[in-house]
Amino acid sequence: MIRKIITLGWKNIWRNPTRSGVVIIAVLLGIWAGVFISAFFNSMAQGYLQNQLDLTVGHIQITNPQFGDQFNPKYNIEEVQSLLDTLAEQKHIQQIEYESQSTGLAQSAANSYGVTIHGVDTTHTSPPPVIQYLKQGDFLQSIDRNPILIGKALAERLKLDLRSKLVLSFQDVDGNITAGAFRVAGIFDSFNSKYDKRNVFVLRSDLNRLLGKKDLIHKITLKLGNFTNAPQQAEQLSGSYPDLKIASWAAIAPELEYVFSMTDVSMYVVMVIIIIALVFSIINTMLMAVMERTRELGMLMAIGMNKRRLFGMVLSETFFLTMVGTPLGLLFSWITVSILGTTGIDLSAFAQGLNAYGMETVIYPKLNASYYWHITLLISVAAILSALYPAWKTLKLKPVEAIRKI
Amino acid sequence: MAVIETKGLTKVYNKDQVPVHALNGVDLKIEKREFTAIVGPSGSGKTTLLNIIGGLDSPTDGTAIVQGTDLSTLSDSELINFRLQHIGFVFQAYNLIPVLTAIENVAFVMQMQGRPQKECNKKSRTLLEEVGLADKINKRPSALSGGQQQRVAVARALSSNPDFVLADEPTANLDSVSTADLLDMMADLNEKENMTFVFSTHDQRVIDRARRVVTLVDGKIAKDDVREEHPNA
Repeated sequence: MIRKIITLGWKNIWRNPTRSGVVIIAVLLGIWAGVFISAFFNSMAQGYLQNQLDLTVGHIQITNPQFGDQFNPKYNIEEVQSLLDTLAEQKHIQQIEYESQSTGLAQSAANSYGVTIHGVDTTHTSPPPVIQYLKQGDFLQSIDRNPILIGKALAERLKLDLRSKLVLSFQDVDGNITAGAFRVAGIFDSFNSKYDKRNVFVLRSDLNRLLGKKDLIHKITLKLGNFTNAPQQAEQLSGSYPDLKIASWAAIAPELEYVFSMTDVSMYVVMVIIIIALVFSIINTMLMAVMERTRELGMLMAIGMNKRRLFGMVLSETFFLTMVGTPLGLLFSWITVSILGTTGIDLSAFAQGLNAYGMETVIYPKLNASYYWHITLLISVAAILSALYPAWKTLKLKPVEAIRKI
Repeated sequence: MAVIETKGLTKVYNKDQVPVHALNGVDLKIEKREFTAIVGPSGSGKTTLLNIIGGLDSPTDGTAIVQGTDLSTLSDSELINFRLQHIGFVFQAYNLIPVLTAIENVAFVMQMQGRPQKECNKKSRTLLEEVGLADKINKRPSALSGGQQQRVAVARALSSNPDFVLADEPTANLDSVSTADLLDMMADLNEKENMTFVFSTHDQRVIDRARRVVTLVDGKIAKDDVREEHPNA
């Protein structure tokens, strides 16, 4: 009998194909729009997060505890080689980057600007991620003496070009001001104009020579297989190296942690708002469907259909009405997300604004498969909730009164 | 034992405002195999009486006993089940399920009774053949005439093997030919299969065919005329 009731529910929704069609299309479009918007903002947020992690923060940072206060170059990491060797043996660490670092002033003939100077090794197996944004020149190879890699934004501010000269002045390990002339070997252009303006890359050997101590390493950045494990891994490492400051990305940049935790919530909030709107539309349709069939429902009760079956019938009708549009909506949104996830959505018209916030100008929408399942589950619950009121109204009918209705 | 027995059946609508006495102490006994018409002018209480003995409505006072069961002792869900097992209904407006075919409409009641699908199909087919709709079993109600729909409704009412069939103005929406056909069919079922029929009607053609005519006036039995005995009595 359950099968019969479900079959009857299915047939009932096609009594008024236009009305049911409108609801099905509304569900389809609602889901499509919700999933697409979620995928779009998810990718935007994830892209921002990933890029920030790649470019600036990494997953775990190791420094001398006192270095972080004023970036004083004398506070380097001691016995760094044995630490690097130990880290290299840990399987969950995928990449180890290290650098000497200083803050100082970059000056050209035209202008000057405060920068962070990164001393890196070109021969190291894990070059800095900024290399992928290199637009002109090369990574500190074409110039023999004191090459430097600068951002496009800084180049524009200091009116520099390839092979132009600039002077970096900063504090050495003894607290004296020192300076060195560098020649532009490459210009990078990441999507983050602030980063491009404030960071320059030189050879570690050049920087250390000017700082006054060979083999200085101020910061080690670790990349893990899964960045979400960073807080636990950082805590473990801190236990082994209590004299060092070992912090995860979430501790270094709490705003990124907020973006990460809020992305999921935002996606579900968007979807829940859409689903609530759909629920009211479905309730309205089902109430109309039930009210115009009062007499027939009364007849069904008169000939012996019990309340459980009647409830089941209205429930199945509502469920079908909702769930016909759901797989179609999910399919269309999956197709849309898949296509745009490959081709990307070009927002270069808004590049200036997006770059100011460190966001890419081409968004590749993507969503985890689990999100689709969660949406299906949410819609199923919404379908059942939508059915309750119309079904309850049905149960309140008295057969003798219902049959009398014209 | 009477199939239906009412004692002092009273129904008052609008009790708290302007009371309307639809039934006023109706005592009625209907035996098995009867072919009874409940007649009377509009507002005389015919439909109310049928509703109460069909377990669709409850009396203000008095009792309705059907097959030995006092309906007032049954809960709502027990009443639904009682109707399913014991009573067949034929309504004035046919009230078939529009999305089901004729055979599906007839089988529906049996399926609710929990009978096997095979039996439901077989019996539905037989019943539709009996009511002369063998060639319409797969038609939906919208593809049938009023008379044909009412025949399907009769087949549906009979499908549950009820103790009796209650028909509220079954010919009210039918033309004379359909009315005559329907009455022939029901009389035939009454005579050959001993099915008990109770009608409410205004229709003189129905009244003329009834073996017993109970006339209600102002909620009371004004006349109870047994015209002829059932041939198998």
